[in-house]
Amino acid sequence: MNGSKDIFSTIFSAGTFQMMLRSATPVALAAIGGSMTEHAGIMNIGMEGMILMGAFFGVLGSFLAQSAFAGLALALLVGILAGLFFALLVVRYKSDEFIIGCALNTFAIGLTTYLARNYFPGDASGNPNLPELNLAFLDRIPGLRVINHQSVLVYLTWIIVILAWLFVYKTPYGFWLRASGEKPDTLRTAGISPKKMKWIASVLCGILCALAGAHLSLGQLQGTFTDNMSNSRGFIAFACVIFAAAHPGKAYLAALMFGFFEAIGLRLQGFVSSDLTGMIPYLITIVMMVYVVVRKQRRKMKNE
Amino acid sequence: MKKIFCLLLALVLLLSLFAGCRKTEGENSELRLALVVAGKFGDRSFYDSSKEGVDRLAKELGVRVTTIECNNQSHDSQMKNAADKADVVVCVGWEFGNIKTIAPLYPDVKWIWIDNATEEPIPNVLNITYAQNQGSYLAGYIAASLSKTGVVGAVGGENQDVINDFIVGYKQGAKAARADVKVVTNYSNSYDDPAKGKECALALADQKADVIFQIASAAGAGVFEACEERGIYAIGVDSDQKYIKPDTIICSMKKEVGSSIYDAVKALLEGDASKWGSTWVADMSNGYVGIGYGEEGSVQQVPDELKAAVEEVAAKIISGEIKVDTTR
Repeated sequence: MNGSKDIFSTIFSAGTFQMMLRSATPVALAAIGGSMTEHAGIMNIGMEGMILMGAFFGVLGSFLAQSAFAGLALALLVGILAGLFFALLVVRYKSDEFIIGCALNTFAIGLTTYLARNYFPGDASGNPNLPELNLAFLDRIPGLRVINHQSVLVYLTWIIVILAWLFVYKTPYGFWLRASGEKPDTLRTAGISPKKMKWIASVLCGILCALAGAHLSLGQLQGTFTDNMSNSRGFIAFACVIFAAAHPGKAYLAALMFGFFEAIGLRLQGFVSSDLTGMIPYLITIVMMVYVVVRKQRRKMKNE
Repeated sequence: MKKIFCLLLALVLLLSLFAGCRKTEGENSELRLALVVAGKFGDRSFYDSSKEGVDRLAKELGVRVTTIECNNQSHDSQMKNAADKADVVVCVGWEFGNIKTIAPLYPDVKWIWIDNATEEPIPNVLNITYAQNQGSYLAGYIAASLSKTGVVGAVGGENQDVINDFIVGYKQGAKAARADVKVVTNYSNSYDDPAKGKECALALADQKADVIFQIASAAGAGVFEACEERGIYAIGVDSDQKYIKPDTIICSMKKEVGSSIYDAVKALLEGDASKWGSTWVADMSNGYVGIGYGEEGSVQQVPDELKAAVEEVAAKIISGEIKVDTTR
């Protein structure tokens, strides 16, 4: 009895929910970016590489200018370039998006590792990082403490979710964006270039993935970069995109769910084997994907 | 034009694959040595320590050194690649289990396997294992002695024999210093994700741990950051890591991978290959495992009396009076 109470209090502690918010943020940002390309009909698995580049150039900028916001700016710039590069190959030259995504991931690991080891002018750890929000009154309200003391990008993500939702579903641009993926010919008849929308989607995805990377290295960590530190977050983000059917709000919730299970997994290690807890996020992925397939089948049957 | 452009871009992407792949240094010796690490350099501990060892060989003894990073994949083919062009191949990491079938294929090559041992001795393989449990015993002893809450923690990279060998020693040492101490542990399940390492340490700090031992390679950088932010102590691993955060890292459990490689190869150059075909346990008695308190003049959190007590415990371990648990 005592044991089960222990498990309960360890799992549902404030720390769990704080970690959920922190670690869901990079996945969520990338997933919102991925939703943009998904709507535009591009299967983008290059998010992993874009996150990694954002993480590295964030640290580099932070080191060079001794300011985390300069790091953020450099990361965003590189994100835009990565998005343009992706669109150049996928949209302009019509290369296979799957292959280009893979190539981008490999390229990002090679490039960041090479630059970090040979050309990083100083120490790629302990550089200026993004500030945390600190509102004293939040600490006094029970339950709201968990949303205090988070890095600024955590809160920015909330705004981005709303903006992305407005953009996709409430503006003509969003309408065109969705049409460019679903019915490009119709869009062309309406006099709007689907290619242009795909370019915009790629660049938006690059920007959001760079933000995700910057949160990882400058928000969660103290301006620290290590080789391949994105550790498959881009792929988890991709799973969130599919699960949420590219809806930014749902994608954020999916990312939160991953963050939650990761946090629980970590805390469950005191009670069950870490080999099992390490599987939790991936098990959830499989369950989610099964759910997506079942949902699709049901809808199909209904329509028939 | 379009095709050429695409080809060029593809080439650029391909080139990045080779970034940091292979490097050769040192020229004035007949001996060619290849260092193959299971993960990647840049962890500022285990793998970097092996690199320091071979760099010293290149500099002081003129050995021609090649390094290969496996990046946690294709260990077998990298071993063969290395053996094709070297006289001595040093494999760093418990992952190189297939050395038992590959080494006999290259009878003229002298192999060194770090951190694990073949079940049957192979004439041209020298296994070097480390008594990390002994050093971790001392780390646990220090942690428990300095803990105010009575809870100490350890973050492992993965639930696996070598990592657990650190942890059992750490637990036993902590209990020896203070019988009522509680030891909490978790695993980051990744050696190169510092954000995950940081979360692991924060989870332990939430359970009131106020000294945390990291055994997670590059993910350990996050452990140090978590400890710094919570104002608690951290203990480094493999290399003397105090310089990374002198105010947070109180000491490091040193596992001198580099010097053990250096000494083994130096002996080989002097014509002594007697160690090959056996397992050499580098432990506290021969000085390859121990506690480091950083460079002289750095801030010290461990008081001199405790250091003296640790010395005594170390002497007892060497004499065999204290038997340290092991998972091996």
